[in-house]
Amino acid sequence: MKRNFLAILLTAAGLTLGSGQIGCNHGGDSSSPPDPNAIPSVPVGALPGHDSLAQDDSHKEGPRLLPAEVYIRMYLDLFGGLSPLDAEAAARGTDGTLFDHWSDYLASLGLPDYEKDIARVGQTNAIMVATFERLGLALCDRAVERDLRAKTGSKKVVFAFDLTPAEPTDKEFADRFDVLHRTFLGYPAVMAETPRISRFLKIYRDTVARHVALKGGTSSFTPTEAGWAAVCHGLVRHPELHTY
Amino acid sequence: MCTERGNSRRNFLKIVGSLGAAAAASPLYRAFAGPGAGTDEFFVFIHAQGGWDVTLGLDPRNEKTGLIVPATTKNIDYASLTRWENDSAALDGDEYSFRIVQPAGSKIPFGPAIGDLANHYDRLTVVNGLAVNTVSHPDGTVFAATGRHLAGGRVAATSIDTMMANEFGAEQLFPAVSIRYPSSFVGQTLDRRAMPLLVDSIGSMGKSLVRSTRYELPEDRAAVTSMLTDEANDLAARAADPSAWKGFGLQFASLQKMIGGPVQALLDTNKLKLAQPSFDYAAQYMGQFAPNAAFAIEAMKQNLVRSVAFAMGSFDTHGADYTDQGQKQQEMFNVIARLIEALDATPHPTKTGSKLSEHTHIVVVSEFCRTPQVNLGGGRDHYPNGTSLIISPRFKGNTVFGASDTEQLLPKATRAFTDGDRSIGPPDVLATFLSAFGVDPRKYMRDGEPVPEMLK
Repeated sequence: MKRNFLAILLTAAGLTLGSGQIGCNHGGDSSSPPDPNAIPSVPVGALPGHDSLAQDDSHKEGPRLLPAEVYIRMYLDLFGGLSPLDAEAAARGTDGTLFDHWSDYLASLGLPDYEKDIARVGQTNAIMVATFERLGLALCDRAVERDLRAKTGSKKVVFAFDLTPAEPTDKEFADRFDVLHRTFLGYPAVMAETPRISRFLKIYRDTVARHVALKGGTSSFTPTEAGWAAVCHGLVRHPELHTY
Repeated sequence: MCTERGNSRRNFLKIVGSLGAAAAASPLYRAFAGPGAGTDEFFVFIHAQGGWDVTLGLDPRNEKTGLIVPATTKNIDYASLTRWENDSAALDGDEYSFRIVQPAGSKIPFGPAIGDLANHYDRLTVVNGLAVNTVSHPDGTVFAATGRHLAGGRVAATSIDTMMANEFGAEQLFPAVSIRYPSSFVGQTLDRRAMPLLVDSIGSMGKSLVRSTRYELPEDRAAVTSMLTDEANDLAARAADPSAWKGFGLQFASLQKMIGGPVQALLDTNKLKLAQPSFDYAAQYMGQFAPNAAFAIEAMKQNLVRSVAFAMGSFDTHGADYTDQGQKQQEMFNVIARLIEALDATPHPTKTGSKLSEHTHIVVVSEFCRTPQVNLGGGRDHYPNGTSLIISPRFKGNTVFGASDTEQLLPKATRAFTDGDRSIGPPDVLATFLSAFGVDPRKYMRDGEPVPEMLK
């Protein structure tokens, strides 16, 4: 995933370069000998007749964030290569409590809304962060319903492992967490620079304990499902996911 | 064309790096930065979308002169206008135009669509005869908000709401909220946090903060957020450039405060209606936009925004729908009147003893006005003249600046600017607005000259 995302980043930059708008040094490489036929640069105001002309000094190019589509595509890939409409249907589920329609979030996600003449958002903002979190939580919860309730041996997309009959030991948790960690963050959990496995294990155990105490109260998840959902939430919202 | 491969590669790597830097510097990581010095001023920008007919409101005409065919009992639904009174003499047969509305003490003549806003004449600065120099919706819209015409199809300058957010609001949680307002953010010198939050409606923002309780508990989400904050802080401690990771830590901590807190209530249209019941949310044309004004008040009350900008409309009445132009304007002016009254009744969040109205500055613009003639379809088309309305404690109230000519409704030369006698234009209005707050207009604008006569 990390490699994929870097590839996207490089592709985006490459496309920008390919357009010929950025990266050209018209003065030539400083190591090259000067071209005797080169025409020296002259300020436009020094050209006859140009001194009184208005100049368009508006901004033409510069660093910008990757389009929101890149992030959305990453989410769709993570959850099984869904099409946007399939992802919407999956996230909505039958109760519609976790997600609504893409069209409700176009502007919040930074996408242009041509029907309402709202332009693309060039920078992220607080609401965009909250919207991606809402989307991530929805996809995680639906993945729990789909994968963890599937029969043994059936195809699983996110939680690509079988649950242990009883609550997992630390080792059993670490093995399963590593599957998720590689999916979301692209490398083995043991290589993380932070005490990641122990932190996520604590999240898992604490969440399971809270839901056990509910005794089947208000949550639609079993304690084990709630535990793994919390792990998924932690990964889909992890800062490394957004920066790599 | 680029021919030097080595140079291309260096630039390529530079761009990859700059993309990363842009991400790190973006509000994604900095929106929740700690409180800063900030300011005590708030801004509301309203765009009367579609091009309003100024002859019914702020530049009234009730006589048939030159090209001008005024609104009459035959071409307007006058029964819906609370300020409509037939003029003393009939215009033609049994067809009457209106009597100019001018409350006692008002130096501003109003048309019959002014509604309750006429009661606040002493706060209003009307700028008539604006040289908008366009009859194109996109061009006029952008010109009114930025002071620059479109360059091809591209917006060439930053909009006024972004300018004010950049100057005074970068530390706010929402520096600039833009609800279908023509906001733009152009240039590298602006603080990325001032990027306007462009949304379709307040309700759509609220949806993003909704979290279901059907599957996980709020405590579960809080525990994950806390763990991610620790992760971000640990990564920051190990990073050569910790800014992005630190930003994440702040963001996680603050997002938790947004969800379930007062911010969420702020983005709930129903709660806004309860909090600000004076607006007419059921008004036929503009009721749907009244929650935006309610949001502005509530967000300013909590000191969460610096600028709120929104559009109301549409006033683009080319045909038989022109009969509703008056009602539409009246409903919009009533929203603004309620806004002023609510600001009067709301204490300032940081200045003890002050009212919000003493530090809130409202600018109402439209892309152009409508033709003085009525077309064969009974409507009015686009016309290159404009009017702006400013309601600000820093501007002279009860004042009309500029004028349109009596026969053609076109801008008249207003005063001597440094480039000669000419009519005032949108860039001059925006430059004057910036100067009222000590901001050098040249920082943002190529054109425009402050008009100090408009200021107190």
